[in-house]
Amino acid sequence: MSVVGRLDESPARAGAGSTPRVPMRARRRGPGGWTLLAMAGLAGLFLALPVVVLVGRAVLDGSLGRALASPAVVEGLRLSLATTAISLVIAVGFGLPLAVTMARRRFRGQGLIEAIVDLPIVLPPSVAGLALLLVLGRRGLLGEPLTALGIEIPFTTVAVIIAQVFVSAPFFVRSARTGLAGVDRDLEDAARVDGASEPQVFRQITVPLAGRALAAGIVMSWARSLGEFGATIMFAGNLEGRTQTLPLVVYGQFEGGDLDLSIAAAAILVLAAAGVLVAVRVLHWGRALDSL
Amino acid sequence: MRSRLTPLSLAVALIVAACAASATPVPATGPAASLTVYAAASLTAALVKVKAAYEATNPGTTVTVSTDSSSALATKIEQGAPADVFLSADTANTQRLVDRDLTTGGVTMVAGNLLTIVVPAANPAGIRDPIDLARAGIKVIACSDTVPVAQYAARLIGNLGALPGYPADYAARYAANIVSKEANVTAVVTKVGLAEGDAGIVYATDVLASTRVRPIVVPERANVPAIYSGVVVRASRNTTAGAAFLAWLAGRDGQAVLAGFGFRSPA
Repeated sequence: MSVVGRLDESPARAGAGSTPRVPMRARRRGPGGWTLLAMAGLAGLFLALPVVVLVGRAVLDGSLGRALASPAVVEGLRLSLATTAISLVIAVGFGLPLAVTMARRRFRGQGLIEAIVDLPIVLPPSVAGLALLLVLGRRGLLGEPLTALGIEIPFTTVAVIIAQVFVSAPFFVRSARTGLAGVDRDLEDAARVDGASEPQVFRQITVPLAGRALAAGIVMSWARSLGEFGATIMFAGNLEGRTQTLPLVVYGQFEGGDLDLSIAAAAILVLAAAGVLVAVRVLHWGRALDSL
Repeated sequence: MRSRLTPLSLAVALIVAACAASATPVPATGPAASLTVYAAASLTAALVKVKAAYEATNPGTTVTVSTDSSSALATKIEQGAPADVFLSADTANTQRLVDRDLTTGGVTMVAGNLLTIVVPAANPAGIRDPIDLARAGIKVIACSDTVPVAQYAARLIGNLGALPGYPADYAARYAANIVSKEANVTAVVTKVGLAEGDAGIVYATDVLASTRVRPIVVPERANVPAIYSGVVVRASRNTTAGAAFLAWLAGRDGQAVLAGFGFRSPA
């Protein structure tokens, strides 16, 4: 990606150099140049400062180290990693067929289906939690018959995973749908002409061509699961080792008055999220080099 | 050069101004005041009436109520939340603010309460006695350990476990039945009311405020009295009005309103 970016820049720079005799200052400042820069700087500062202060404080006062010795934080981290891994597998496993269907087929009411699938992205998580409770709670539409069969979902780790899948899967489906729709059908047909079976075409042509969109969807979906809070606390409750994921630890320790531990748990979440974003950049960079 | 720096210096000036504004409390104004009361969640229903009664007798004064667990509210006040008065469901959280020099004036005792066990109105688990809370498979909804009602509940469970007829590991069995630790007591009442949980330990007054739950009688000798206390926050702009509100609440009129919601006298 960065390689392509650099190639794109050079003609623009050449063009700027050949512009006839525009006074230096006018060109550098441009219309509202400094105002633009100042606003951009403020926006950057606004976005960066809270996160930097949070992580800085956790690292500098040593609470990050202390947090990693705290059972609540360690259990929360373990539970978060385990549940988000399972959620991601489910989101991709069920989301991919849905994305393929929506990208490849045209049917009546498609726009409506797409809107419904996208809805959890814009819903407040507390609304998602309440809605899940009304369906899967002990008195819920499906929860009541399930309870009669001896299956109770609320306040279990399964409920944590359900909440995560509900709020995160749409991110994957949305990204995958766009990526799959952009795959050139002629390339797939060419493979078919060469005798490739449908699963082979999908695995070896479609998925690699839509790879970036699929990867982006996976990352967004996982990050959303990791950050899930509102639906979890409403639908799955809050119990250490069973349903108390790391974001709930952040809230619980804050409510309980242990601000240091809350900050440290939050810093772990920031570092995990940043780590994923960096990993994606590296992945893309490697891909861009390969394609040269 | 000067014009180039203007937006940046403006931004810096704005940030400095914003910091300065938040750091300097404005001195107290006249008698007409806008009071922000941070109160224990169990006071939610009663404070609606308290607000109306207090505003009626003090024209020009408006009361804004924000409720959560007392421990969460104390944390928020420590972090500089704009509360004028803090009403806690215990004396530990008000004392916590006193110890950190965040209050002005003394601690006022404002109400008393007792604990009760609630079950969903339909009582699906068939709970009839506190001893049933230790039965295997019962889903107990509790509060986070730092929330006052959880601390009173721990004492109640200890007292019950010492009664004749109760198993020796009553407290451990109760703890093992907890499926969730909620942020405050009203969340416990809500979730038990939705029948998501089988039972929970809450305040006696919480039962009167909900039609979806019903109480299970707790033996009187095991019950734990809760004492509600209030303080005026030192950083408040309305410390005089705050103290007047606390005095009113602890006085005859305030106590009458609270008694209407099942609260006892704090003595």
